[in-house]
Amino acid sequence: MFLLLLPLLAMAHGLDVRPYKPKLSTASLGGLTTSSTFTLEQPRCVFNLQEDVVIWLVVAVPKAVPSFNNSVMPGSPKTAFQKFPTSVFAYMTLNTTLLNYPCHKPPREITVLRVGSETSCAKDNTRPTCNGPLPGPGPYQVKFLALNDSNPVAETAWSDPITLRTARQLSSIPTTGSGRSAGMIALTSILSILFAILLASLVAMLVFCGSNAYSGSSSFSKPEAVTVQRYNTHHVYNQPAARL
Amino acid sequence: MAKSGDGIRILQGLLVFGNVVIGMCGIALTAECIFFVSDPHGLYPLLEATENDDIYAAAWIGIFVGFALFALSILGIVGVIKSNRTLLLVYIILMLITYAFEMASCITAATQRDFLTPNLFLKQMLERYNKSDVDNNNDKWMAEGVTKTWDELMLQKHCCGVRGPSDWQEYTSTFRSSHKDADFPWPHNCCVMDAQGSPVNLDGCKLGVPGYYNSNGCYDAISGPMNTQAWGVAWFGFAILCWTFFVLLGTMFYWSRIEY
Repeated sequence: MFLLLLPLLAMAHGLDVRPYKPKLSTASLGGLTTSSTFTLEQPRCVFNLQEDVVIWLVVAVPKAVPSFNNSVMPGSPKTAFQKFPTSVFAYMTLNTTLLNYPCHKPPREITVLRVGSETSCAKDNTRPTCNGPLPGPGPYQVKFLALNDSNPVAETAWSDPITLRTARQLSSIPTTGSGRSAGMIALTSILSILFAILLASLVAMLVFCGSNAYSGSSSFSKPEAVTVQRYNTHHVYNQPAARL
Repeated sequence: MAKSGDGIRILQGLLVFGNVVIGMCGIALTAECIFFVSDPHGLYPLLEATENDDIYAAAWIGIFVGFALFALSILGIVGVIKSNRTLLLVYIILMLITYAFEMASCITAATQRDFLTPNLFLKQMLERYNKSDVDNNNDKWMAEGVTKTWDELMLQKHCCGVRGPSDWQEYTSTFRSSHKDADFPWPHNCCVMDAQGSPVNLDGCKLGVPGYYNSNGCYDAISGPMNTQAWGVAWFGFAILCWTFFVLLGTMFYWSRIEY
């Protein structure tokens, strides 16, 4: 009996601290961090425990990291997501058994954990372990905690602070024109010059050649349809013929 | 005298040829501008919402100018062959008026093209896409046009946002105020769709896994047709006007040499 108690006591006080640090996924994802979610690598091959141990994700603001108590129960008001970060400074979510983090990682699959993807329970007080969208840009620190029947048996190190995206105001987008392009300036100036020359030629044409009845030698006349009529004005007799 | 007669004949021939080319170019300009006005790419609502659709005004002017050029070129041919001073004077004055209109069209098209920057479309998309609280009917019309155009653009050209899906993350938008960031980091039309029109993998799309969402921006799909239209109207019109300039100068010279 005493021999059986000793290992139990050892387990209760001897927390296995894994050196693994949770980090953002290394896959190239467009939505790695958004303004209310972020995506972590799954903690594969990290814990050396039996498969029915439950792994929890602890999300905390950095000031709560040194004072976080591993024995706090998930799903209690002290770790409820809905009260984060106003009265609760660390919440626990994304619980799953170690069975779901097998060591063997299929090469073509992306194994990630998206923190903040459940929007339906974000305001539901009956779901304190909701994986709800994070309320602000952070920064946040996370760690994984392994619980065996509500006893903490293993944990990872705390991650580096993770900061989410902040959206800029759309009114800050400058829409003033980018200036005139060279093509447009060339087009405008050339056309204006050509039009000015045409107007000037029109004025010159009207003023100088407007009444051009007696022009120089290089002018020409309209081709007229001229019918030439030969008129015999004098009746010409064949005189010698008449005398004979 | 015979030599200048030949010279005049050559000038007549050149003017007739010049007018024939103007007539054909006029028809081509009308056809091209009708094509642009018909909006084959469906991008007109985006321009309408910028409240500055002068590129379309330039195309409309182009239609009428092209037809006027064709009609005036016939008048010019008749006037040159008959060497009629009155006809040619009417021709020159009407051509100058048409020239002025076409010049306005070219300059408008070229200037407005410079106005259509990526930032303009970005701001418009963020402000009007999926806007539901509208101030008046005009606002509602523009918001619906922008939403519908963007939805079709994203589905058909397989693109997202102006520069990319990150546009929806980098800036606040009307869309963001009605759709939560966790469920809709970007609109669902940015997801790769299957044959039935629903996303192939919605979670992959929300995560941004390459292959499940459209990661390239739509700006090329918008600016390509608009550039073609602006340059088509502006530079083809410019070419016609350069040619017309020489024909008009020749006609004025010819007119001044006709004996009344």
